[in-house]
Amino acid sequence: MQKFAVFTGSCQSLPIMQYLLKNNRLACVVLVDTQQNHDLMQLQHWLQQSAIETLTYKCSDDKGLIAQLDRLAVNRGLIYLFRHKIRPALLQYFTGHLVNIHPSPLPDYRGPFPLYWQLRNGENTIALSLHQVTELVDYGNIAADVEIEIHPFDTMNSVQYKVAQALPRLVEKYCQLDEKKEIKWRKQEGDGCKSAPQIEQQQLIVNWQKQTGMQIVNMARAGNVDFGCALFQLRGEAFQLLQASVVDSTLTGVQAGMVIEVDRQNGLVIKTVDGALRLDIIGTQLGGFDGYRFAMLFGLEAGMSLVQKNF
Amino acid sequence: MEAHNSQPTVSLQYVDPQVDELLKHSIRTQLESLLKAKLTTGQRQLLLKKSFVDAMTLVLSNTQVEHLQLVNTFEAMYDQAVQSMALAQLSQEQLTRQYVSASGLIMSPHNCKHTIKDVYRIKGYARGIDLAIQSKLKHSPSITILYPACGPFAPLLLPLLSYYKDSNTFTSQQINVILVDVHPGAILSLQQLIKDLQLDDFILRIEAADATEYEPAESIDLLVLEAMQHGFTKEGQLSIAKHLVKFLNIDGWMIPQNVSVRGMMVIGETEFNQQWKEVEYSHSLNTNTSAQQDRVELGEILNINKSTLLNMQELELQDGVKVIPASKIKLPTGVKDMGERILAIYAHIDTFADEGVEQYDSGVTHPRPDMTFYIDAKPRDVEHTHFVASSGDMVQFYYQLSGLPGFVPVKL
Repeated sequence: MQKFAVFTGSCQSLPIMQYLLKNNRLACVVLVDTQQNHDLMQLQHWLQQSAIETLTYKCSDDKGLIAQLDRLAVNRGLIYLFRHKIRPALLQYFTGHLVNIHPSPLPDYRGPFPLYWQLRNGENTIALSLHQVTELVDYGNIAADVEIEIHPFDTMNSVQYKVAQALPRLVEKYCQLDEKKEIKWRKQEGDGCKSAPQIEQQQLIVNWQKQTGMQIVNMARAGNVDFGCALFQLRGEAFQLLQASVVDSTLTGVQAGMVIEVDRQNGLVIKTVDGALRLDIIGTQLGGFDGYRFAMLFGLEAGMSLVQKNF
Repeated sequence: MEAHNSQPTVSLQYVDPQVDELLKHSIRTQLESLLKAKLTTGQRQLLLKKSFVDAMTLVLSNTQVEHLQLVNTFEAMYDQAVQSMALAQLSQEQLTRQYVSASGLIMSPHNCKHTIKDVYRIKGYARGIDLAIQSKLKHSPSITILYPACGPFAPLLLPLLSYYKDSNTFTSQQINVILVDVHPGAILSLQQLIKDLQLDDFILRIEAADATEYEPAESIDLLVLEAMQHGFTKEGQLSIAKHLVKFLNIDGWMIPQNVSVRGMMVIGETEFNQQWKEVEYSHSLNTNTSAQQDRVELGEILNINKSTLLNMQELELQDGVKVIPASKIKLPTGVKDMGERILAIYAHIDTFADEGVEQYDSGVTHPRPDMTFYIDAKPRDVEHTHFVASSGDMVQFYYQLSGLPGFVPVKL
């Protein structure tokens, strides 16, 4: 009988726990002994209400945790959104039955922000890869995966919602294969050509002179809203671009970053290296505005450039 | 008196509810005064006409007029003109749309409405146009004037026509005007303003058209054109002039008769700040001698008149951008602080005869600093838009006829 310990730190893993709970496979949930945040507090509240045993992962050592896992006869471990490297002792305890769900088609997009970078790179689909946990993070053999389609309008939050919906499907697939002893561990081929590193502040700033319209569109929706969106500057003040759309432009000889139209219907349109971009939703200290209203309120005129030096 | 006079509250009834919220916000002072005054349509039109005539009376006067008096008179003209604009019932789209067209920037009526307050631009043009009209009508019973890209108020002509009508200087049989603008909001405003000024008989046509493509059926005696911004950038003055000059009579005149665009290397702080610290307003008469002497003039970059326009060679680059070769300039040598100087481009406008608009008289002749042009200095981050040269280098300037026209220097 599979008895799972779920290692997590986020409510986004609730569908996994609900699935395991429903199938009598959830033994406990392991949370990190870390600073409280709203997401974690909500998760703790749900676990308490559902009377699920909660264990604590200590940053110092695994002895106590292993003893408790043993007491509960846990024989399977599943990690999702648990931002801590697993130490060898725990790996040894699970003897190959500790798996992690990484939301990317591994080996592509290894790293802490796979969903962000897949959205930002304009991928049409993402994959959830369930792989064995090894000492090298995101490198273990893959047992199962599922593919999720990305809608062109999806944002980070909507993709996270789709991922949450797909999680039980993936876990079920794994459990069934495991039960039937039919798991065919697939080695990750190569190192992957795309990565998902930590996001630097500089990477959130729109580079009008280099980025295409679609790259800016994807940058805005990938960052909408938890990752700071895409940032641009006007008169020394930074603004958040939450949503943008590519529009046609045949204008020649106009530098990228130039305001080429302010219109109630057509909105605020900026020249890009490959065409033009309509800034649909802009976040400011005064609130959110569509491009037209933003232009009227902040005095943006056709012929002005958004290219800023030393941003 | 008109029939409207028997309905003293009529302006109250139609001004308030039908003015777009944005326009209402930006001209609330003028609207408030209109509402408070409780004027009839006839009374408002009289005030409008008077404000236009007063402004031109001062402008055409050969006696010295105080700056403040001019400013106040033009402010009154603006106040009246925007009341008329409010009655044109522009939608917000018509009022605020602005965009970059293939040949230059198209401003919104909301933004262009301020042009009518640019005292010395209008003065230089109106005096020149007046002289040109007088001169033409000495030899001809009537003339046709084309005013492309005239904006919502056609400020270079409508005040003058109001003055002619009021003073019986010239009649509508003598002057036929074609007004052209591509912006639907400008057309609606013009129609209302012309109706309010009762100048319909002077206006042959109001055309909603792109001035760079418009082809008048008539031969044109005077082409009145002002579609430029400082540094001769952004707007399509050159493209419009180049296209429409072909429709001038053989003895037809373009106003301005000549635009000389010049370059200079300046210390920004001296030219744009210190020079103006002790004076009330910026104007060519108020420039500072030591600041002027500190300039390093590069000379004329481009000269635009009827003759140069007809001979201009247009080159098409690989990316489809059209350029006009302008002047070749040898960068001066022996200037110790050249590396600290910035390029500033300014225009000198000769409207007609001795009339004109000089540097700093108007926004359009204000020198424009170009922060991408470096002599004997290197930018911190070199970008493809930067131009880097040394003293003594030969530089060929090109004028780019794109959506946002402007000068492009190339080192020879």
